[in-house]
Amino acid sequence: MNVMNRDTNLLIAELVDDLRPVRPLSFWRGLGVVVASMAAMIAGVATMVGLRSDLLTGSPDPLFLLANGLFLLLGLAASVSVLAMGRPRVGSDHSGWAWATAMAALLPATGFALALAGKTSALTGKAAGHGLDCLMMGSALGLLAFAVLVIWLRRGAPTSPERAGLVAGIAAGSLGTFAYSLHCAFNDIVHIGLWHGGVVALSALAGRMVVPRLIRW
Amino acid sequence: MKPDDTSMARLMALAQAGDRQAYGVLLDECQTWLRRYFMRRVAPGQLDDLVQETLLSLHRKLATWDSSRPFLPWLAAIARYRWVDHLRQFYRAEEGELADDLPGYDQEPAIAARISLDRLLASLPEPQARAIELVKIAGLSVAEAAQACGQSESLIKVNIHRGLKKLTALIEKA
Repeated sequence: MNVMNRDTNLLIAELVDDLRPVRPLSFWRGLGVVVASMAAMIAGVATMVGLRSDLLTGSPDPLFLLANGLFLLLGLAASVSVLAMGRPRVGSDHSGWAWATAMAALLPATGFALALAGKTSALTGKAAGHGLDCLMMGSALGLLAFAVLVIWLRRGAPTSPERAGLVAGIAAGSLGTFAYSLHCAFNDIVHIGLWHGGVVALSALAGRMVVPRLIRW
Repeated sequence: MKPDDTSMARLMALAQAGDRQAYGVLLDECQTWLRRYFMRRVAPGQLDDLVQETLLSLHRKLATWDSSRPFLPWLAAIARYRWVDHLRQFYRAEEGELADDLPGYDQEPAIAARISLDRLLASLPEPQARAIELVKIAGLSVAEAAQACGQSESLIKVNIHRGLKKLTALIEKA
């Protein structure tokens, strides 16, 4: 054994001594916890503030279905990407979240375009107050999914903590705004694009800023 | 005997279940593999530290390997992360020349080529890769590197910054 190897061999002996059986991170278990957190959010909305009346009557508005479907898919796609990021390997490409984000970004883009054209009342008076409610409640609900994903990333080994944080924020914000949309009665593209989309943007920013500091290698 | 993916995967599965003997053998094989993996891409005096840091990360992240997947791409992802992190922190090598040879890659050439550090570095634009090679790997000062490759000193710094950022994003993909 040469001198250079000696310290490494000591380290190996210490690591072997420290070995405890581990439960491998399971993708399906992780996805199950994310889905369970989403179910808890929906249950919270249903019991605390109630569901939209058109949902209860079984005839939901088409815009609600389209927009909320996009947020749900974005939340799930981003969550799957975060779960994959926790279990690294060379050759892995978890960029699906980026395409889903691009598709969902059509909502705020349309909202902005209409808002700039002055074709909305979503940013003034009572409507703006309701928009702020959606922004705060959607973000708060998303914290549950955010906590689940951060715990996963702390146990995992994300090779790009900044991107993992960003995507975890997108996932949490999308699922949070999806859950609160089940209560929100607005069927206005500007309201949905700006306020509901704002939840995703806000959560993404928070994830990008906070998560890298919470990850330990 | 040179380490191969199948035997390392088998040892890793046993290690995850708590088998210390298998874990000892695995870490020893990983040490050998990592030395070869990093050899040409880090100054000899830094090699031991980098191998130890990677083994520590492997130990902490033992649960992140999926037994249904090959072992070496997982180990390479951790090694690449540690290498890029090392490049970020390391400013000047004074410990001598880099090794020219890269032994131990003849056993599974397809996997080795796919997960190599050369492939990761080659994914960068040439000026960024050159700036990182000269300053972060070969240990030249920014002024020396600027003279060697014809880029201005400020461009060398910008290329290193952008290159390292891009390397982080490409650790698993490239």
